[in-house]
Amino acid sequence: MIFSACSRENEVAELLARGHWPQACAPELRSHIEACPACSDLILVTRAFQSARAEAVSTAKGGSGGALWWRAQLRRRNAAVERAGRPILGAQVFALAVNLLLVAVFLVYQARHGFNWLSWLEQLPQSQPIHFEVLWPSALFTSGWSFTLLIPVLATLALVGGVAVYLVSENQ
Amino acid sequence: MLWEAIFPNVLTGDATRAAELPMDSDAFAGFYERSAPSLWAYLARVSGDPALADDLMQESYLRFLCASQPKLFLADGEVAARRYLFRIATNLLRDHWRRPRAASIEDVPEEFFAASASSAQADSRAILSPALALMRPKDRQLLWLAHAEGYSHREIAEITGLATASIRLLLFRARRKIARLLREQNCQVSAQRREP
Repeated sequence: MIFSACSRENEVAELLARGHWPQACAPELRSHIEACPACSDLILVTRAFQSARAEAVSTAKGGSGGALWWRAQLRRRNAAVERAGRPILGAQVFALAVNLLLVAVFLVYQARHGFNWLSWLEQLPQSQPIHFEVLWPSALFTSGWSFTLLIPVLATLALVGGVAVYLVSENQ
Repeated sequence: MLWEAIFPNVLTGDATRAAELPMDSDAFAGFYERSAPSLWAYLARVSGDPALADDLMQESYLRFLCASQPKLFLADGEVAARRYLFRIATNLLRDHWRRPRAASIEDVPEEFFAASASSAQADSRAILSPALALMRPKDRQLLWLAHAEGYSHREIAEITGLATASIRLLLFRARRKIARLLREQNCQVSAQRREP
């Protein structure tokens, strides 16, 4: 398609925008429009669209601007709250990552040194009748283990559990 | 919420300030009254779906109010604010067209079929609507913005995000095509009238 705009197009567009067509159009311009395909297209299309716009505007249903304003305020407030909560979420993720790392380090350490403190569990069914002393992990002390390692492990597990519960409850 | 108890100022400082809207309720009501009919007309005629136009118009105003720039646009005057609003609506229409979905006849509201328009309006609809339906969505947008809203090429470029130089060529092509379609429609309507 060849792009051949008319040099008088702006003149015609202005005429249409001011509503001067066809009554206030000079005869010389009118004869140009009749002969020029670009200008006659412009007249035809602009008048069709202006008429369609007038019709659509008259049938437009005006809603409530006030209700929209309140909805926008609510949306903006929610977005602001979400922005404020973003660092907190970051801290939660960081805490969870640190805890998981600690658990991983502990498990690797245990795997290297053998899970010998678990041997007290194997002794449990052999002891008849069950005494509370049996439940006490004696292997813990015999194998060189102490509370100094067990307590941090339990604390870590508790912390991980706490963070997980908090994240789940917050999502809900 | 637990964090609000721990940090009582977390939601009363910057967050609340950020939640302030760029216009007060009365100013917005006036702006809405002046701009809503033309925005609805644009959305309804370009999309061809009045129900969709209702939804997109509401979303356009919400995004306009929630955007961070409206203060700048308002400083430039209402004309710039309207242009910004049309830009949001244009982007929403584009997003809608990118998600094609099957429309059922039951989705179209009943008033769409009601014969409430005057004969001149019905003529205009009978001629323009089928011609618009044959145009590409982008061409419909360009034609409406240029010929119904009277925006300049630079303003259309700002609204649609296209280059000003390409607007001129795209608009020329679209106008030539729709002019041909309108003439064909005109002939068909005239022929139907002549038939008994």
